[in-house]
Amino acid sequence: MLTALIIDDEAPAREELRSLLEAFPDIEVVGECANAIEGISAIHRLRPDVVFLDIQMPRVSGLEMVGMIEASALPQIVFVTAYDEHALRAFEEHATDYLLKPIEPERLARTLDWLRSGSRQTSAALLAQGQTLRQIPCSGRNRIFLIGLDEVEYIYTDVSGVQVVGLNKQGMTELTLKVLQERTPLIRCHRQYLVNVDHIAEIHLLENGAAEIITHNGKKVPVSRRHFRHLKDSLGMP
Amino acid sequence: MFSEINHFALLGTLLQQMCVYLVIAYLLSKTPLFAPLMQVTVRLPHKVVCYLVFSAFCIMGTYFGFQVEGAIANTRAIGAVLGGILGGPWVGLAVGLTGGLHRYSLGGFTAEACAVSTTAEGLIGGLLHLYLMRRQRADLLLNPALVLGTTLFAEAVQMIILLVMAKPFSQAVLLVEHIAFPMLTTNSIGAALFMRLILDRKETLEKYSIAFSAKALRIAERSVGVLMQGFNEANCTRMANIIREETGVGAVAITDCEKLLGFVGIGADHHLPGTPISSPHTFYAIQNNEVVYADGGTIPYRCSISKDCKLGSTLVIPLRGEGNRVIGTIKLYEPKRRLFSNLNRTLGEGIARLLSNQILAGKIEEQKQLLAQSEIKLLQAQINPHFLFNALNTLAAVIRRDPEEARKLVQYLSTFFRKSLKRANNEVTLKDEIEHVDAYLHIELVRFAGRLDVEMAVPDELLHLRLPAFTLQPIVENAIKYGISQLIEPGQIKIRAQRQDGVLTLMIEDNAGLYNPQPGGDGLGMNLVDRRIKIRYGTAYGVEVNCKPESWTRVYIRLPIEEEIAHAHSVDY
Repeated sequence: MLTALIIDDEAPAREELRSLLEAFPDIEVVGECANAIEGISAIHRLRPDVVFLDIQMPRVSGLEMVGMIEASALPQIVFVTAYDEHALRAFEEHATDYLLKPIEPERLARTLDWLRSGSRQTSAALLAQGQTLRQIPCSGRNRIFLIGLDEVEYIYTDVSGVQVVGLNKQGMTELTLKVLQERTPLIRCHRQYLVNVDHIAEIHLLENGAAEIITHNGKKVPVSRRHFRHLKDSLGMP
Repeated sequence: MFSEINHFALLGTLLQQMCVYLVIAYLLSKTPLFAPLMQVTVRLPHKVVCYLVFSAFCIMGTYFGFQVEGAIANTRAIGAVLGGILGGPWVGLAVGLTGGLHRYSLGGFTAEACAVSTTAEGLIGGLLHLYLMRRQRADLLLNPALVLGTTLFAEAVQMIILLVMAKPFSQAVLLVEHIAFPMLTTNSIGAALFMRLILDRKETLEKYSIAFSAKALRIAERSVGVLMQGFNEANCTRMANIIREETGVGAVAITDCEKLLGFVGIGADHHLPGTPISSPHTFYAIQNNEVVYADGGTIPYRCSISKDCKLGSTLVIPLRGEGNRVIGTIKLYEPKRRLFSNLNRTLGEGIARLLSNQILAGKIEEQKQLLAQSEIKLLQAQINPHFLFNALNTLAAVIRRDPEEARKLVQYLSTFFRKSLKRANNEVTLKDEIEHVDAYLHIELVRFAGRLDVEMAVPDELLHLRLPAFTLQPIVENAIKYGISQLIEPGQIKIRAQRQDGVLTLMIEDNAGLYNPQPGGDGLGMNLVDRRIKIRYGTAYGVEVNCKPESWTRVYIRLPIEEEIAHAHSVDY
């Protein structure tokens, strides 16, 4: 039994794929998402075995989305596209599996065979590596929005999740601190904090060897002793 | 002894007449009438001019002569012989005959002899012409020495004819004794000097035109292709520099119809490229499509920008584009204490023509490129693969669910593709264009199921108006592709049409507000539509974009309403 998630911004496309998958009794479609941001959340929540992922979607493309998920949490990805020369070239290079719309049932069956046997691991994780994120999808008060990376002051975790603090807006993201540290230029300054060095105004040294960052906006970000060295290095401080 | 003195007195008088005669010839040489005489003529109109001019000289020669022994001592032979030499035997004969008949009409005992001899003289000139032409030595015809010899010979023949024909013989002998020496001398020298005059005039003209063509050629050579690359400040400044260096005038300016594009030379400190035109002469030249020459004397010139400007005269020549429409001017200036040389004044107009042609050639080149580009783009638009495959995928889903709706979708798809197959250069009605967009949007509405809303407000009375095919559809497609499809929340497209003051405005609005005019970005299709409209209807029309980021993007397409054309077409059908 394989659980599957469909992520596509076009309702008829999701409908078509779901119908095609119904022909395979061992595949269970556990969810449908209309954009990448919902998609990340659904992947974290539902932990599907396989994701059928459309490439051309609003704001965050399917390819970008893959880069927003930790490699360890990444399900098998089958890209679906109507036409995208760029993406197809990348897939060929990484031997990534993909389906072309309109999807041929025979071709879909072959993909599912590979997935069941595990003989051909899809290599979406490879595509994701080396990607840098341009923006961070966030949600807050029934709304989904994106914060551009240059706008981010700092990011921290608390009991409710990962919080992104931007110059003008603030929101919770589905992305983990680990992914954000790996795929953005943000610097880890504390176990629970990442900071954008471009927005640092001052650093106050504290008695115990720790420090405190004041951003241009006057916000305070703690620096732990353990991460201070790393922060100094990235700022070019002796 | 007595007759000797008489000879010299007569010679002196005749030489005086000849001088008056030559002065008249000199004055004539300043008129265009003289031009055909400066070469050995072959063409009929030239021959006619040649005949008329030399006949006139022939008759004049008779009038300038004076009575001697019941006959007339004269310089008639000059006209006859030169007419023959320059015009050929027929012209020579005709001139001689005309001069001769005129002489005959005045009477006297030598009347008949003179008529015959003058005709003979014209014929002698003509025969020499024929002889030299046959021997391919036309250059010798203009040789004054040869003319001198020929006239001498012709006059000698005349004397013989006088002796043979004039009765009584004794009186004829007396006459010839008196006039032979002065007339032979005067006519020969006169004819030779006349020829010299022609030669001088010819040489001056040649020198002038050599200098002129040399300058013109050098300017042409140096300016090749400069303005073809675009009629802008950088190229106009380069061009002005070349012209100033070659003509040596005080300053050179190039303008379009509104502003100065290039200025080089005296006064460059306050004649700044990019500033609007302020000179009344330039306005006049642009408005009336006329050359304006303000010499600083009869027509005053004063710099309209600075009182301290050292420039004192200007020549403004319109640059003409398609259909002889003024597209700008070229201005030559001289400082206050210097005069415009004639050469530069004439050259100025030539330069203006050269520049006009270059600008025109550049425009044509640009249009060609645009056409090629738009056709390529069009080909791509016809088979926009992303749209096509997504539409087919949508169709696959709809077939499963609702075969009737699927059938409609197939209909829209075929309408869309059929309309896309139209040639881009064709004009269509707004109705046609709306149908194209409508088919496109119907497909997108199903594809984006619930994520797209369309509001179309196009009054029926505008549907017959004509516009270039593929004006509206690419803009709507852009709004979907770069706007709505990037929205997570539902999107809306509004299409409006309105007419005002002879302008049709189409407005396409989306609620994404993601317009980002980057090169190579979503602007390409839009730019193409814009440039095509501008080239066709002028810069007052085209595409304009307004954007409130994250809120809306509004695209306005402005087109002239050509009702007459629309009516003419409907009559045809």
